[in-house]
Amino acid sequence: MSALRMLGLPLLLTALGGCDRSAEVPAHLTVSGGDVRIGEQLVTSYGCGACHVIPKIRGANSHVGPPLNQFGRRSFIGGHLPNSPDNLVRWIMDPPAIAPGTAMPNLGIPREQARHIAAYLYTLR
Amino acid sequence: MQKAPTGILSISSAAARLLALLSLGGGLSGCSITIEGVQSALDPRSSIAGEISQVWWAMFWGSLIILALVIALALYALKRRSRPSRLGHNSLIIVGGVLLPVVTLSALLSYGLNIGHDFKSGSAAPAELTIEVIGKRWWWEVRYPGQGNGPPAVSANEIHMPAGVPVEFALTTTDVIHSFWVPNLAGKIDMIPGKVNRVQIQADTPGVYRGQCAEYCGAQHAWMAFYVVVHPPEEFEAWLRNEQAPARTPDSTFLRQGRESFINTGCGACHVIRGVEGAVGTLGPDLTHVSSRLSLGAATVDNNLGTLAGWIADSHTMKPGNLMPPFAAFDGATLRAIAGYLESLE
Amino acid sequence: MSESDASMLRPLAGDAPRSPGEARLRKAWAKPQGIAMLSAVNNTIVGRYIIATGFTFFILGGILALLMRAQLIVPENDLIDFELFNQLFTMHGTTMMFLFAVPIMLGFAVYLMPQMLGARDLPFPRMSSYGFWCYFIGGVLVFGSLFIGAAPDGGWFMYPPLTSLTYSPGINTDIWLLGLSFVEIASLVAATELIVGILKTRAPGLSINRMPIFAWAVLVMASMIVIAFPPLLVADIMLELERAFGWSFFDVERGGDPLLWQHLFWFFGHPEVYIIFIPAAGVVSMVVATFARRPLFGYTWVVAAMIGTGVISFALWVHHMFATGMPRMSLSFFSAASMAVAVPAGIQVFSWLATLLGGRPVLKTPLLFVYGFLFTFVLGGLTGVMVALVPFDWQVHDTYFVVAHFHYVLFGGMVFPLFAGLYYWMPLASGRLLSERLGRWVFWLMFLGFQITFLPMHLTGLLGMPRRVYTFPAGMGWDTLNLISTVGAFILAAGVLVFIVDLFAHFRRGERVIHNPWEAGTLDWLPVAPFQPWTTFSVPLVHGRYPLWDQRELVAEVDKGGHFLPDAPVGRRETLVTDMITAEPQQVLRIPSSSWIPLSAAIATSVFFVAAIAKEYAWSLIAAAVTLAIFILWAWSNARIPEADAVDAGKGMSLPAYVTGIHSHSWAGLSIGLVVDFAAFASLLFTYFYLWTAWPDSWPTEPFTTGWFPLVIGILILAASSYAMAWASRANRRDDGRGYWIGILAVFALGALFMAFVIPVFARSGLDPTRHSFDSTVWAIIGYHLLHMGVGLVLATYTMARTLAGHLTSRHNTDLNNTALFWHYTVGIGIVSLLVLFLVPF
Repeated sequence: MSALRMLGLPLLLTALGGCDRSAEVPAHLTVSGGDVRIGEQLVTSYGCGACHVIPKIRGANSHVGPPLNQFGRRSFIGGHLPNSPDNLVRWIMDPPAIAPGTAMPNLGIPREQARHIAAYLYTLR
Repeated sequence: MQKAPTGILSISSAAARLLALLSLGGGLSGCSITIEGVQSALDPRSSIAGEISQVWWAMFWGSLIILALVIALALYALKRRSRPSRLGHNSLIIVGGVLLPVVTLSALLSYGLNIGHDFKSGSAAPAELTIEVIGKRWWWEVRYPGQGNGPPAVSANEIHMPAGVPVEFALTTTDVIHSFWVPNLAGKIDMIPGKVNRVQIQADTPGVYRGQCAEYCGAQHAWMAFYVVVHPPEEFEAWLRNEQAPARTPDSTFLRQGRESFINTGCGACHVIRGVEGAVGTLGPDLTHVSSRLSLGAATVDNNLGTLAGWIADSHTMKPGNLMPPFAAFDGATLRAIAGYLESLE
Repeated sequence: MSESDASMLRPLAGDAPRSPGEARLRKAWAKPQGIAMLSAVNNTIVGRYIIATGFTFFILGGILALLMRAQLIVPENDLIDFELFNQLFTMHGTTMMFLFAVPIMLGFAVYLMPQMLGARDLPFPRMSSYGFWCYFIGGVLVFGSLFIGAAPDGGWFMYPPLTSLTYSPGINTDIWLLGLSFVEIASLVAATELIVGILKTRAPGLSINRMPIFAWAVLVMASMIVIAFPPLLVADIMLELERAFGWSFFDVERGGDPLLWQHLFWFFGHPEVYIIFIPAAGVVSMVVATFARRPLFGYTWVVAAMIGTGVISFALWVHHMFATGMPRMSLSFFSAASMAVAVPAGIQVFSWLATLLGGRPVLKTPLLFVYGFLFTFVLGGLTGVMVALVPFDWQVHDTYFVVAHFHYVLFGGMVFPLFAGLYYWMPLASGRLLSERLGRWVFWLMFLGFQITFLPMHLTGLLGMPRRVYTFPAGMGWDTLNLISTVGAFILAAGVLVFIVDLFAHFRRGERVIHNPWEAGTLDWLPVAPFQPWTTFSVPLVHGRYPLWDQRELVAEVDKGGHFLPDAPVGRRETLVTDMITAEPQQVLRIPSSSWIPLSAAIATSVFFVAAIAKEYAWSLIAAAVTLAIFILWAWSNARIPEADAVDAGKGMSLPAYVTGIHSHSWAGLSIGLVVDFAAFASLLFTYFYLWTAWPDSWPTEPFTTGWFPLVIGILILAASSYAMAWASRANRRDDGRGYWIGILAVFALGALFMAFVIPVFARSGLDPTRHSFDSTVWAIIGYHLLHMGVGLVLATYTMARTLAGHLTSRHNTDLNNTALFWHYTVGIGIVSLLVLFLVPF
């Protein structure tokens, strides 16, 4: 029965194991009042993946809009605004107000939620 | 991306519930625990689903006993292998192989075949409402009776029904075989070309349940799901009145522009929006009240302005192989306008 | 003399022959060498080919399963897209059912059956070889379609209208329909010769009530194949006719019905499950008796149970269609019938338990796998009872619950016994034992891996996950369960991997055995291991069910040539034909040796199917003609009149070398072939009646051609031709050459007249098979009969040629008998066809 006993080990090893969160966010991209975890949930529930590739969000693989991987290293938002926390929150709340020709609709996201989302997006580096 | 409603089971609680299921799952008397889930046969919300779940628990415990008996005998044979047991005898074959199955199966048949009679339409109280559901690749057309003698109110991928009332479903298909299944409410029944299958379902309590196609139907069988919204009866009446009405008229320039673009870009060749000239095609879902629905693409994604726009621009990353062609022939503002217009159709 | 003493004395293949008789025997049965191995026809070689091919497909089908499990490890995974995934599950099911399970069980039967019954080979060795090559080429063709991205993707039961040209326009479906039809030929051929072999070529004294359980199991399995496969073949061809030529059988727009396919498919598909399980249960009965060190309890009960399972399994097919909306009453009948099959299954399980309890079980690897089988199969049987209950089936049908259920019965009921069989019988093939130590690893990895994979799936299904989905949304309660299943699948695969390592290692390192390592009692352990084509120096006279236990001196006597056929006096391969019931010796049958004909015929047949898939019908026709020509050459070269009428069979017994009439083995083979043919014909009639009752309103109210005249004339011509055939046979028996020629020429003339008469009536009728299912079905039935008339005319011509060449005489009249049998049968189905088409439903 040694076969049976030795089988336990690989099984246990399979059950263990986890995944690490992404690298730290630099100070100038910290969003005050933004909670990364809530932001991630909001990105999921608003269905941002319907238009964007977003790393680690399952099924977010559409190329209607620009991919959001390494968003924390992006220089401009929507090709218009310098990438800063304030600008990002404004953009998320109402993109057409900043760039009237954009395809990204105004989803009516309140400021508080936009902060969480922005905080999450800056973790993508 | 969010697909389907937020799950009730997280990973850790699923494991805990699995244990709970195995350790305290009711008794032979038929009492049972329920597993919460959006689409579960073990979380019955109608009498028929309840009966089936009860018979499952009875069979589960019965089977466990028989399995334990067989395994115990088999292991006992190994334990006593130095001297043969007196159980090794032809009579064991007759008792275990003939009497045991005959008795247990007769009992099971007489109990089991008597349940579920009111599933088949016309056998119980007559239904007050008939809803037609037509399977399509890979979505569901849903037709409710119109006002008076008017044309039926057509919707898609979402069934609304009153609680506590028997509702008849007339099920068929216009292409391949599909199967209509809402586990919380009843078993499945196939949708077969040239045939209309009728079943009757009475949902006990208001709530939202998920159903899914259960007969492999090609490319996007995996994302051919739908929601059943069970209302309190009076709320259902209100909902149906709204559904029967034509589409609401846009109340801003932006939305009017959206409606115009909808027609100009050819969307109307496949979609109906009741009350809008040029939106008469029947290949795709009726969009008259699309904004009031929970999901897009047959419960593929949650329905909001953003996912609508994403779906229009490229539905094929969300649901590859679906039959709606990708539309990328308009500028960003037009896309927003069309999506905005559809989002206004409550 | 004890067992070990006996084995010390046994002559090995490498030893010099001890007598001129043994030398002649070995020469007659010598294996072809080098590339000529491909022309081998002996069961010990072809059986190994089949098992090796089947096992390879098991590995390949398993890899497809691992790919699917990898995709389903997390929700919304994008490892595999829907197109590939849909091909994967279609090909996984197809490979496992058609290219692995049935063939490998037939392979075990072909490999073991002659030895187990004390025969030297199967009665039609060239058919074994032809069947194998059809299977091999067809299997490579169907599986290979995955690599060009054109694999079938309609699910392994291929329901129309999803598989119609409208919804599956690619070549994928054609590959399935035609490629598998080709593979099914192999199963039918093997089944036919196994039935004849089991019934007619047992060792003297091995009466039917002494046959090993595995032989009974193979007999039941083969009989089921003969009846169950033709309906699928007919359905395949009808769907292909609909796809390729626009006929209508399943298209509701034109009087067809997609449920017709489901009936025909499951009339095959449900027995198919037992076709796989029954021989596996036979393996279990053998292993249990050997390792419990005692005869099986309840031999008669177990045999009756297997036959009962076979019979009942033909009355269960509708339980795959409980959700199609059929009337409640008929559902209840099929529900009860489905549960009834638990009784014969229970009898077998408790017979094994009684034997284990009443014996002194030795827990070697084969028995370990039997224990794994018992647990898994009983659990699968219990969930089988659950899904047989109509209301419960409404919930779990087409969900992961059902996926779990049928893997418990198929993997538990067939793969575990298969591995028990591999560990048990491997010494007969290689002369070496597989490793007990690694065997335990293989077992525990496979057993635990299997349970971890499939036990959670019951719950996954109850929680609402349908089968055949390439992905699923997160948060439905399915995430963890799927993760567990995927982990289990890879553990299971690791077990199979260890087996492969063990398999290759044992050829060099395994412990050598030459005789009966498990001290078993049945004749399969009589020959020296590894099996040699001539089997044993003499064919034993048997007195009981376990000759090696009952007859202590048997091994020594057989090795000394003290029993039957200890020689090959004219240098030809021979085996004994005995009475079907009592196993009294009747004939010394000559059987053919190595030949390139079977491989050539299989290649020509494959060209026919490949060309049809490619819609190059001209090439198909050419290939069909070539195949027919090879068959004629085959028949011509095989049937020779022996030099002497009587042959010395050993033990002072003289037996005829040539037997004709109903005792001839070829007559038996043809009769079984005609059962296959009739099952196909009955499926066509079923189609006719089914479609009429499905759409009574759209069927015509009068026959396709008016008046009684064609009906009466047609029947008269057919009856007259049958009379002429009987006349010719009688005249030939009386050695009346003139009467024979008048008769046989009249048969030919009347047959040609019938075709000349019917074809114009039919052509003028205005029937258009692309218009309506009525037209299609009438065409199919008449076409089927005319095809038989054509074959009958070819056979009549062949018979005349045989007479002219001097191969057919008044006493050596097998060719004429077979032609007559075929002709009378053809007349029979012709008359039935005419009556049905003219009288029903009008």
